[in-house]
Amino acid sequence: MTYEEFREEIKKLKASNKYPSLKSYTLPSLWIAEKNFSRIDPEIIRIIAQELELPLVEVEEAARFYAMFHTKEKGKYVIRVCTNLSCMLNGAEDIVSELKRLLGIEVGQTTPDGLFTLEEYECMGLCDGAPALTINEERFLRVKKEELPQILKKFGWKGE
Amino acid sequence: MMEKLLLRNVDKENSHTIDVYLSGGGYRAFKKALKEMTPDDVVEEVKISGLRGRGGAGFPTGMKWEFAAADVKEPKFFVCNADEGEPCTFKDRVIIEKDPHALIEGMLIGAYATGCRYGYIYIRGEYPIGRKILERAIAEAYERGFLGENILGTDFSFDLYVHSGAGAYICGEETALIESLEGKRGEPRIKPPFPVNAGYLWKPTVVNNVETLANVPLIIERGGKWYSQIGSPDCPGPKLFPVSGKVKRPGVYELPMGTPLEEIIFEHAGGIVKDRKLKAVFPGGASSSVLTSEEINVPMDFPSLAKAGTMLGSGAIMVLDETDCIVKATLRLTEFFRHESCGKCTPCREGTDWLVRILRRIEEGKGSEDDLDVILSISETMENSFCGLGMAAHNPAASTVRKFKDEYLLHVKLGRCPFRSV
Repeated sequence: MTYEEFREEIKKLKASNKYPSLKSYTLPSLWIAEKNFSRIDPEIIRIIAQELELPLVEVEEAARFYAMFHTKEKGKYVIRVCTNLSCMLNGAEDIVSELKRLLGIEVGQTTPDGLFTLEEYECMGLCDGAPALTINEERFLRVKKEELPQILKKFGWKGE
Repeated sequence: MMEKLLLRNVDKENSHTIDVYLSGGGYRAFKKALKEMTPDDVVEEVKISGLRGRGGAGFPTGMKWEFAAADVKEPKFFVCNADEGEPCTFKDRVIIEKDPHALIEGMLIGAYATGCRYGYIYIRGEYPIGRKILERAIAEAYERGFLGENILGTDFSFDLYVHSGAGAYICGEETALIESLEGKRGEPRIKPPFPVNAGYLWKPTVVNNVETLANVPLIIERGGKWYSQIGSPDCPGPKLFPVSGKVKRPGVYELPMGTPLEEIIFEHAGGIVKDRKLKAVFPGGASSSVLTSEEINVPMDFPSLAKAGTMLGSGAIMVLDETDCIVKATLRLTEFFRHESCGKCTPCREGTDWLVRILRRIEEGKGSEDDLDVILSISETMENSFCGLGMAAHNPAASTVRKFKDEYLLHVKLGRCPFRSV
């Protein structure tokens, strides 16, 4: 998406009349950015601020507050491994270390080809399928270490 | 076994579609409310039912609606709190994904009763599948004339939208949720004023949890009196219990409020994996105080758990077995709160951070006996936090230090975690 296309998307969003206050479009606008850009950069924040008639800082603080918005560069696919209690008790730590090994990156990093970002994540409400992980919007439940290469290959991983 | 009420539709094929919902009697309660009852009648019926909010605080729903109905400011907003973020809670997810129309119908009835013109479902960003299902269900409800202007030929109009959160546990707190809906950082507001009088854009705003709203069509259809006779007398109704951790059959179980914890774990969830011994249970999510294996014969309802020194919260039951390290589990839950503390107030921001540091050094075998007193002292200070997050965040640490002191001391004595093989 180009910046101009992004601006058009926000205009469309405003035309939906979903909220009686322009500022309420902040999170929906940031979501469009999150899904269509590799990071929410200063230019994106400026466009949102202009369209919603807000001070830059108010958009920026929202962009930085929420865990799912990336103001730093992310990969095409974000792998979120839940490590909260139920997943931890069911082996989430092994899943994280195996993913680190397979992808050759640490938690919080992106593979050099820009394909995957690995994140340890808080509970995603998938505890009946612990240990659970998601890749973008797809979820994987009761994940076993041995299944990880197969899962990654689905998303274009070229390793092993 | 009790008749399935909240989960009555979830096993049907395509249960998320309006046709399946209608064929099971869906939207009948809404029609009844709209055509045969005044808004006051609806509020009265919900009051008679004794329904208490299922989000964690357990506030009487009928009273909340009465307050909102009495406020004359316009427009009023009806918000569904679908920001289910309490660790190990996944009950609302089941309703959102499998029975979204029950939720929409509950909102419609509530909006009619309180005079709300606009509605938002604030769903956590981690539920993208649920968001799509809700958006589709809302579109279906518009097509069939259940949403929009002059619904079913009456004066009642209601527009409903989905608003997606973006990963912040604090937004489950209703005033933080409202701040987030307004496009801000999710920081809680001081109460009072309460959202029913000054919520979204400082207009009257009802905020109800998903499961709470799913109860409403049942109450209107079968009557508040019928509902009040299910489960515990002082907080009646069916309850969804998400059970996870070291049980054989993790999942969401619908049981009458007041079902004993022991029965839920050993009968419904199948007992402990590999038939090990149960060690500890967090009975109401990550913010609840721990119960030991001797304390699990307790009815799962708000007053009984409060009496047992813990809380029902979201009803999320997290089970640890004898091979699990209590210090490590506590550390992980406390790390969660440190991550999710919004930073607004000092007791919570600093308290969660220090608890994590101290718990970590104990877990790594570098702690001292004095650390346990420090944990309890931090815990006491955190009681003075600005909102419920900080007031509850120290519960796992303080309660495990009190009830599993020997295990903490063993870490100190051995200089390592006794549950690690190396």
